[in-house]
Amino acid sequence: MSQIEFKNVTKEYISGVKVLDDVSFSVEQGEFIFIVGPSGAGKSTVIKLLLREESMDNGQILFQGKNIVEILPSEMPDYRRKIGVVFQDFKLLDSKTVYDNVAISLEVVNADKKDIKNIVPNVLSLVGLLDHADYRPQELSGGEKQRVAIARALAHEPDVLVADEATGMIDPDSADEVVEILEKINSLGTTVIMASHDQRIVDKLTKRVIKIEKGKIVSDKKGGKYRA
Amino acid sequence: MPKVWNSLKHYLKKEKLMTVSHFLVMGITFLILGIFINVVVLSQTMLKYLEDQAQVTVFFKDEFGEDKINPFKDQLSSDERISEVTYVSKEEALRIFKEINEDQPVLLESISASVLPASLEIKTKDIADLESLSNELGQKEGVEEVRFYKDVVERFRSVSNTVYIVGAVLVVSFFIISYSVIISSLRTAINSRGSELEVMKLVGANDSYIKKPFIYQGVFFSVMSAVVASILMIILDFGLSKWDIFSKGLSIGFFPDFFISPVNFSLILSCILIVSGFLLGYFGSNAAVKKYLKY
Ligand SMILES: Nc1ncnc2c1ncn2[C@@H]1O[C@H](COP(=O)(O)OP(=O)(O)O)[C@@H](O)[C@H]1O
Ligand SMILES: [Mg+2]
Repeated sequence: MSQIEFKNVTKEYISGVKVLDDVSFSVEQGEFIFIVGPSGAGKSTVIKLLLREESMDNGQILFQGKNIVEILPSEMPDYRRKIGVVFQDFKLLDSKTVYDNVAISLEVVNADKKDIKNIVPNVLSLVGLLDHADYRPQELSGGEKQRVAIARALAHEPDVLVADEATGMIDPDSADEVVEILEKINSLGTTVIMASHDQRIVDKLTKRVIKIEKGKIVSDKKGGKYRA
Repeated sequence: MPKVWNSLKHYLKKEKLMTVSHFLVMGITFLILGIFINVVVLSQTMLKYLEDQAQVTVFFKDEFGEDKINPFKDQLSSDERISEVTYVSKEEALRIFKEINEDQPVLLESISASVLPASLEIKTKDIADLESLSNELGQKEGVEEVRFYKDVVERFRSVSNTVYIVGAVLVVSFFIISYSVIISSLRTAINSRGSELEVMKLVGANDSYIKKPFIYQGVFFSVMSAVVASILMIILDFGLSKWDIFSKGLSIGFFPDFFISPVNFSLILSCILIVSGFLLGYFGSNAAVKKYLKY
């Protein structure tokens, strides 16, 4: 059983306009894959469908064998905790410190204070920001902000980490740091799915690359390059 | 719990105008509800006191003696409509007269039992029967005069019914207003924390974790307003008991022979207000949360 399976998924935001057209692929536990393609190709839509932020019009998405359409509202929080997400715009809370921005993902499930005190420094040191725990987001660089967002996504020890253009708003050096962290997380067993149109990074990592154009998968290759 | 409290404090600080108007509207709502219940109970009490005194008094001619009145009385006692018949002899009438006019010795000296008529005081189960009864009794042999005061009771009843309707409409309107105030104030609170809620959902917050602070907030406003209104009601009813307007206490309408002191009544009323405050807050905020926290 694959960890994630897209089966003939079709999505139309506006009726008649297929943003995703018959998209099928599967992802094994522990893989690192890029979803690439020009802007507007449908990369973010793939991620939104996986997170069930949007509903599809046709096809199926299985997560660990279960059709995600069948997840009950009461099971949704649990599902979201299995999939950590990182966005281009970080989505950090400016009023909270780095520490609290990470802790929030544990507080919302009423985790023990003791556990929070253990886990938060752990994930912060994993992304190399333990010494920035008391900073506020506005005192951090773009790369550092993204690392806080990654730390927050990791607090639940998700099975999958999804990153949508995670390096889109940061300088190349910081982007490299972020990708290094994602590789590290992947090497610890977490599946990483990264939507990107950053050719430099995709080519550097030589991972599996799924290329989408106008809503269709045009190639899916291991050790691929952006322009393969 | 402290977390919920913090978010509430944050809201109170940030939305001062909203907070003040929220408290005012809800406070007025519960005050109106409290006053309404008070008016109902006071007027019901009043009615009870009036009804207790509503009776037909049949005065007999002097030649119609006790020997004739007694069978007359027995006959009345078996009448379905009648609840109580009391015989007041000439001597008793004099005693009552003396009691009433204690402080007027000159008047008392000039009066003897023979001047005053003997009478039967008749109470009915239903005061609606007073009129027909008095008409019937007026026809009877040996009857000098029939007196009854039913008009007062009837008029009072119709006035209080009007008051009840107006009061009920007011109460319902203010509950609707309060309900929408809860909803709009929670919408403000939810919008002002928009990105935070988005992030919380993103990291897998349970629904209850996100909803709880808003439910607490709605219940807090509503219950606090009810408490303030309750305090005012307790003061009002405490005043009533100080002035001792109703000697037997307040009567709760529909239970016969049930009387309660105004202070105890106000405590029960407070419970009613606070419980309705809780319910209003709980259901209002649940509705708001359902409406504005989409998943
Ligand atoms: N909420 C939406 N409503 C309508 N159209 C949308 C919506 N979101 C995305 N789209 C359209 O779907 C297409 C794919 O968008 P997206 O998945 O965001 O692409 P990418 O992430 O690859 O740049 C685009 O043409 C975009 O305009
Ligand atoms: Mg996108």
